[in-house]
Amino acid sequence: MTAEAVPVVGTSRRGGTRRVPPSRRRHGVRLAFALALPILAYEAVFVLYPLVRGGMMSLESTRLGSRTSEFVGLDNYRRLLRDDAFWGSLTTTVTYAALVVALAVGFGLCTALLVNRKFRGRTVARSVLTLPWAFPEIATVLIFIWMMNPSFGLVKLLTSWIPWLDRDIGWFTSSPFALISIVMISVWKNFPFYSIVLLAALQTVPAELHEAAKVEGANAVQRFRYVTLPALRPVLLLLSMLAFVFAFRQFTLIWLTTGGGPGRDTETLVISIYNRAFKFFEYGYAAAIGVAGLLVTLTVAIAFLVVNRRLERKAAR
Amino acid sequence: MSSMSTTTLRHVTGVARGAAVLIVCAAVLLPVYWMIATAIQRPATTLLYPPPLLPIEFVPDGFINIFRDLPLLSWLRNSAVLAGIATVITTVLSVFGAYTLSALDWPGKALFGALLLLTQMMPEAIIVVPAFQLYNDLGLLQSLAALSLLHAAFVLPIGIWILRSAFDAVPREVADAARIDGCGHLGVLARVILPLAAPAIAAVAIVAFFASWGEYLFATTMISQTEKYPASVGLATLISQLDTPVSELLAGGLVYALPPVVLYMIIQRFMIAGLTAGAVKG
Repeated sequence: MTAEAVPVVGTSRRGGTRRVPPSRRRHGVRLAFALALPILAYEAVFVLYPLVRGGMMSLESTRLGSRTSEFVGLDNYRRLLRDDAFWGSLTTTVTYAALVVALAVGFGLCTALLVNRKFRGRTVARSVLTLPWAFPEIATVLIFIWMMNPSFGLVKLLTSWIPWLDRDIGWFTSSPFALISIVMISVWKNFPFYSIVLLAALQTVPAELHEAAKVEGANAVQRFRYVTLPALRPVLLLLSMLAFVFAFRQFTLIWLTTGGGPGRDTETLVISIYNRAFKFFEYGYAAAIGVAGLLVTLTVAIAFLVVNRRLERKAAR
Repeated sequence: MSSMSTTTLRHVTGVARGAAVLIVCAAVLLPVYWMIATAIQRPATTLLYPPPLLPIEFVPDGFINIFRDLPLLSWLRNSAVLAGIATVITTVLSVFGAYTLSALDWPGKALFGALLLLTQMMPEAIIVVPAFQLYNDLGLLQSLAALSLLHAAFVLPIGIWILRSAFDAVPREVADAARIDGCGHLGVLARVILPLAAPAIAAVAIVAFFASWGEYLFATTMISQTEKYPASVGLATLISQLDTPVSELLAGGLVYALPPVVLYMIIQRFMIAGLTAGAVKG
């Protein structure tokens, strides 16, 4: 089966060692190091080193104006644990991420199912449905800011047709609409990627299984429930984790629309790191929030890997 | 009789599906439509409420003025330089990395994979301050080339994972046959695997190009000279300044979105094939 049919992350499908003569294998090992080393060096300079430096910064107190910083041990972390703003933004991050995961992956699945079957104009429909993925984030921000403008926006006109809704909603400036708005924008921008990957995964569901289920008298809903869904489960799990990580990392779409407001309503961890660092110049504290954020991401990722492995083992049995 | 009702049912489902496709496509396209419709209006027309749902004017002023009033052309050129370098680096290093993970057995392989995964998880915001200080120390601020290195570092893991599944999908017999014919590892890679994985390589190049063309956080942190701005930063600064007419702003956004969209339309078929490569083998 195609448990790890999805390209992005995956465990090796090729378990066995290739039977090659020892000399060639030694050559292979040398080659592997020769090819992997530049990549490791590259990532070490541009990701690992800044990360370590950030970790060290989180143990220091840096103030605006002074070029020196003093070692304060775990003070920043102690402050973090007592900081309501930190817990608030953690909650905001998780809420935002959960909503985006559910809606983007869900909508991606629906659209993939919709254009999976052959029909006239399918190619066009596929292009249209995946278009937002090619649309850069800044262009996305520009258009949604304009559409959701509280005085002249198209959304104002559309919502004015809904009788019980207030006409003058500040989509980016009032609670809870700011959060709803950034979720909607993120879903529009990101669902196509999940749709493409799920479409690819759908191609691998054997047609015979569907036929067999049909012969047994299963209706469309039952076929989806008992044939399609189990086949897609590993991919869906993987995409959900990926969507969570992407949502966790999201900066541009939030920063340029709500800026984390109103108040701290949409201040995710990433936004609060940026604010702490570049608005209040509390580099040490910003770094501590960063380390905490990384720990949260890692926890989620490890949880995913464990669940994935367990499912794989169950499938192998 | 029963076959008749089945046909009718199928017909109804077909129509329902068609309607659903139309509605969803319209909903997805609406923002893009509105962007174009606004960009071709006169500034005064954009300030009408309720806004006309169909454009009442077709004026190219927005597109002309944004190039006249702002250095959009050099911003776009900067973006092209940035994304070009990042794309080349990502694609070449992804080939190396994917080959070590797919075709070679070596100690440290699992660790290498885990490390790449870790990089993939990392929010950019965590390292933006230390990276800024690093670039500051090395005198690399304002350098587009240096910024593109940072972009590539963040797309590389995803590039490696895409290519790795494509390399995995190349039938082992084909590679072995080439090896028996006297090809070394690099010969097999160059003559057998790369041609077969061409769609996936195109997919990686596109993913890298999109990522760098659209990136904002690192770009706005590292580049502060107006003439060095990539288009993402340049356009974003206009949002807060509020003195650019909206039709001009959206015209600029459209021009900026055009290269990735056109590129995507051209190689979309490859793209889906490339991302699917690993899936076909099952």
